Amino acid sequence: MYKYPTWKYILVLLVLSYAVIYSLPNFYNTYPSIQVNTFDKKEVDSLNLQQLSEDNKISNIGIDGNNLFFNSIDDQLNAYNKLIKLPSYQFTLSNYNHIPKWLSTINANPVSLGLDLKGGVHFLLQIDSDNVKKSRFTQLENNLRNFFIDNGIRYNTFFTDADSVTFKLNKDSIDPEVLDTLNENFSDYQITTLKSEGGMDISATLSQESFQNDIKASMKKNLAILRSRVNELGVSQPIIQQQGKNRIIVQLPGLQDSTRAKTILGSTATLEFRLTRGSPDDWSQSEAIGTNTISESLLYRHKNGSPVLLSRDVIASGKDIEGANSGFDGQTNQPAVFVNLSSYGASNMLDTTSKNIGNRMAVVFVEQDKNQVINIATIREAFSKRFQITGLDLQEAKDLAILLRSGSLSAPMTIVEERTVGPSLGSENIISGRDSMLLGMILVILFMFIYYKKFGLIANIALIFNILIITATLALFQATLTLSGIAGIVLTVGMAVDANVLIYERIREEILNGNSPNASIISGYNKAFSTISDANITTLIAAIALLTIGTGVVKGFAVTLVIGILSSMFTAIVGTRALVSFIYENKNNKGLSI
Amino acid sequence: MFRIIKELDIKFMEIRKIPLILSSLLLAVSILSIVIKGFNFGIDFSSGYIVQLKFDNKVTVIDVQDKLSKNNLTDSTVQLYGSSKEILIKLKDEEIFKKTNINNYLKKIFNDTSFKITKLEYVGAQVGSELREKGEWAMLIALFSILIYIALRFELIYGLGAISALIHDVIITLGFFSFFNLTFDLSVLAAVLAVIGYSLNDSIVVFDRIRENNIILRKLSIFAVLNKSINQTLSRTLVTSFTTMLVIISLLIFGGNAVENFSIAMLVGILIGTYSSIFIASTSLSYFGIKRPEEN
Repeated sequence: MYKYPTWKYILVLLVLSYAVIYSLPNFYNTYPSIQVNTFDKKEVDSLNLQQLSEDNKISNIGIDGNNLFFNSIDDQLNAYNKLIKLPSYQFTLSNYNHIPKWLSTINANPVSLGLDLKGGVHFLLQIDSDNVKKSRFTQLENNLRNFFIDNGIRYNTFFTDADSVTFKLNKDSIDPEVLDTLNENFSDYQITTLKSEGGMDISATLSQESFQNDIKASMKKNLAILRSRVNELGVSQPIIQQQGKNRIIVQLPGLQDSTRAKTILGSTATLEFRLTRGSPDDWSQSEAIGTNTISESLLYRHKNGSPVLLSRDVIASGKDIEGANSGFDGQTNQPAVFVNLSSYGASNMLDTTSKNIGNRMAVVFVEQDKNQVINIATIREAFSKRFQITGLDLQEAKDLAILLRSGSLSAPMTIVEERTVGPSLGSENIISGRDSMLLGMILVILFMFIYYKKFGLIANIALIFNILIITATLALFQATLTLSGIAGIVLTVGMAVDANVLIYERIREEILNGNSPNASIISGYNKAFSTISDANITTLIAAIALLTIGTGVVKGFAVTLVIGILSSMFTAIVGTRALVSFIYENKNNKGLSI
Repeated sequence: MFRIIKELDIKFMEIRKIPLILSSLLLAVSILSIVIKGFNFGIDFSSGYIVQLKFDNKVTVIDVQDKLSKNNLTDSTVQLYGSSKEILIKLKDEEIFKKTNINNYLKKIFNDTSFKITKLEYVGAQVGSELREKGEWAMLIALFSILIYIALRFELIYGLGAISALIHDVIITLGFFSFFNLTFDLSVLAAVLAVIGYSLNDSIVVFDRIRENNIILRKLSIFAVLNKSINQTLSRTLVTSFTTMLVIISLLIFGGNAVENFSIAMLVGILIGTYSSIFIASTSLSYFGIKRPEEN
């Protein structure tokens, strides 16, 4: 019989050992864990875990370095919710496993699971382009107005439409020199003049390119802000990346509830500090009659619903805040946000407070068109840089501190897609994926053995190695395995045997035609080769078309399908061939068990 | 040798009118259903919310529906999901969710019982239509690139044959989803694309044999060549369909609700694909006028 080349045996062995080694880490248990970061270098033990586990009926909390690991996700989340109440620690939801060091050093890690399998939140946020344009135009209006005033040009009115701002001048001509300066100063815009009834219109049109640059800049800033906000949400390995021109993907693995993430990520909230005007009597009266009884004042509403009159002047606002932390008021023990002002904000604050001792100052929570007074306090002494704000519950104080620290988004972002899977549903999905794969494999293996006997066993060995190769490849390239990916693997299991079926049917035909066993094997493999490659390449084309859709469910499926097709081609054409040659080569075979 | 299919000599070409009539009927029903009835698009392709809630206590669909409509969420569907404590709600993208996010709104609606949100999916209108457009493109690109590959590798006539079988399979699978009002979402699209790959795989295997026999068996008529090729590959076609069917059935049993629609689409697609690669793909070659080598 034709001798199977040694290098092919070696290749098969190399691929096999690769598949075994890189799929090995998946056989170690992974535990839900909490990473503890201590700010003041205390030991993890001092968290009093004994107490925690007894109080909450949590069985066995394991400790390794700064990892606490649990038997179930419920225990993990339960402990997490208790632990985050502790000050001066930071806790991160994570996963923990005991993989031997040598595996990690050769970059062999478990397959990373998609959010539908480990639970978590996926958001797609889109920047509000209209808002970017609006703020650009507000700025343009101001600049133009100042320009006309500075150059002594009088105008009747101005208006804004889709992409331009137009000023209606009194005169029907304009000094060419002024027009030149105008063009120069507003080079981002296209300046056009148009004679109109009783005067002249001057329009500044925003070019598409310049507007796109604005969006690009806003996106860059928002991306950085979202990153710093996400870092405070306490999840390990979050993903924040730009998608297309105007969207950002945020993925938060392990998070059980999207409520808080939603409030924090999309928030444009900031603070304003203003003096109050008049007395509480004035406030309720103003509300009753519908006009403000005090001049130069604005009517606001307190968190508890009561009306408040505030000064038009803002002492300091979000952009003047440099740092913020949440904690507790030293005296009352109420939750508080400690705020640090910038030097500009601080001098403004010092100036105002020293002149207004005994008066009251309000803290206004500003979010898009929603303003709310969260606290009114009497100024007892002058202060400047550092002070505290109370009047919030603990969670609100924490969230506000995060928002103030990260700065405010340069344009609002709205959630255009969300996919949240609770961790318990995630582990259910893992189980259903695993069970369906096992059942499918057992059925196929049984059938192949009954139908093709010894050759069926060879195909089954190839099938198992197929699964290992897919697992190892997914793990090595850190591709994400999703439930649809498992469906892809399950499908591959069904289709992987196809290549062998093609070969075996050919061998059977050859035997029935009266050929010798050894000759049948060789011509079976040779004749099936072109069919196998044609059939698989066409399927591969379809799978690659799937990849181009590039969205979660479909992509996960396509990735495993592509890897599956390639590996099943390899195992059938080279792998089982090697095994068959190894068994039957150099023997005078009387018959084949096929 | 354990064989399901022994030496066979089924005269496929002589009975080719029967599958032709059957397929025409299926295609007509499918196209009519798609045109008139359309698809029951999941939120992936339309927009809206799907929320799965797990309550601590038993709930009833009527009770949940009642609470939703009291809070101005009238356009919703509610169904029990797995157990009597879990429900699945589908909601439109309501204006109210812009002010209060849906998580808090649900907490307000069901403030008398405690529950957990086990799953929440939201797709905005713009994203939904983008996904649909991308899906249509992917399908067209897949079909077209396959046509080119087969035309290059075989002859154009085989490409036409494979594509007719393919379009036949895709339309009937889509028709099935439309006719039975099954939810059409991203996972079903993935299945349809996988069926494209699978059905093709099947046709190619038969075509490969036809090409081979067309050269070897010069003395036979073209009908005899086609018949013999289908018969020779029949056991492979059935064995592979059977093993694939085995795993899809185990996906249906254990895979859970998340892959249910996917599995149904695959199951239908593979049944149709197997049928078409036996009865449609090769017979279509005779209609397209396949030639013997010497006639070329």
